[in-house]
Amino acid sequence: MQFEQPFEHIDEFERELREGLERRAAPPSLKRKVMERRRHERKRQRSRMIWFERIAALLVVASVAGSVVAGHYAIERRKGEEAKQQVFTALRITNHAFQVMNRQLQERDRNSQ
Amino acid sequence: MASDWQPDFEQLVDEHQSMVFSLALRMTGDRGLAEEIAQDVFMELDGHIAKIESQQHAIFWLRRVTISRSTDALRRRRVRGIDLWVEMDDNHATPVEVQSTPLGSRLESLLSTLPEAQRAALILRYQEDLTPEEIAATLGAPLATVKSQLQRGLKLLRAKAESELKEYIRAV
Repeated sequence: MQFEQPFEHIDEFERELREGLERRAAPPSLKRKVMERRRHERKRQRSRMIWFERIAALLVVASVAGSVVAGHYAIERRKGEEAKQQVFTALRITNHAFQVMNRQLQERDRNSQ
Repeated sequence: MASDWQPDFEQLVDEHQSMVFSLALRMTGDRGLAEEIAQDVFMELDGHIAKIESQQHAIFWLRRVTISRSTDALRRRRVRGIDLWVEMDDNHATPVEVQSTPLGSRLESLLSTLPEAQRAALILRYQEDLTPEEIAATLGAPLATVKSQLQRGLKLLRAKAESELKEYIRAV
């Protein structure tokens, strides 16, 4: 009988173990399930990528719009600064003219006295 | 040449599904869980496929990841307090394969009672026919540890088999 003296030789035991541990066939559905999960995963990744792209595009548009607005404000501020400088220059010129006129009037007063 | 090798995912699944499933099945003893692990391993392979350099690398990677994921699954089950082997007997009892000898089948079921590390070493040795050096590389363990696990596992399995088969012979 096969079981009576099974362990006389280690080789025999190991041979039996090797036979007992032969690879089993995978369930027939395994490959199909793996391929379905892969397709599903790819689809999810694609839709995630589309969302990332949308968000990235939105961020680009927002930053472009922001920089346009910021640029516009900078131009306006610069124009304001220029106008302010022009007003100051005009005031300085006026002030200078008044000073000259004042000096001339004082000289004329002195001469008339 | 490794650089000429172009991995084909579907072909890899085709060629290695039996290896991955058998490793997971013998590590966990649960057909349902083994199938889940096999699916997860192949999904992980899909994510890493660009890093796979050759057919041998794919086989090495699959063995390593399957053993690792099976061990993780067993640990998770233990943490959740589920007695895997009771569950296996109740729900997923594996039918004895016709190609196995009766003793081989009994040894296979006895293998599931060994500690995980010894079980992994014996499965890689006798299912995958790996040398202790290859097993050490696959498990990322020192060679001396693997040799010791193989010896202890074999000794324990032999002792269990002797006592179980004596009872069996007595019963017959």
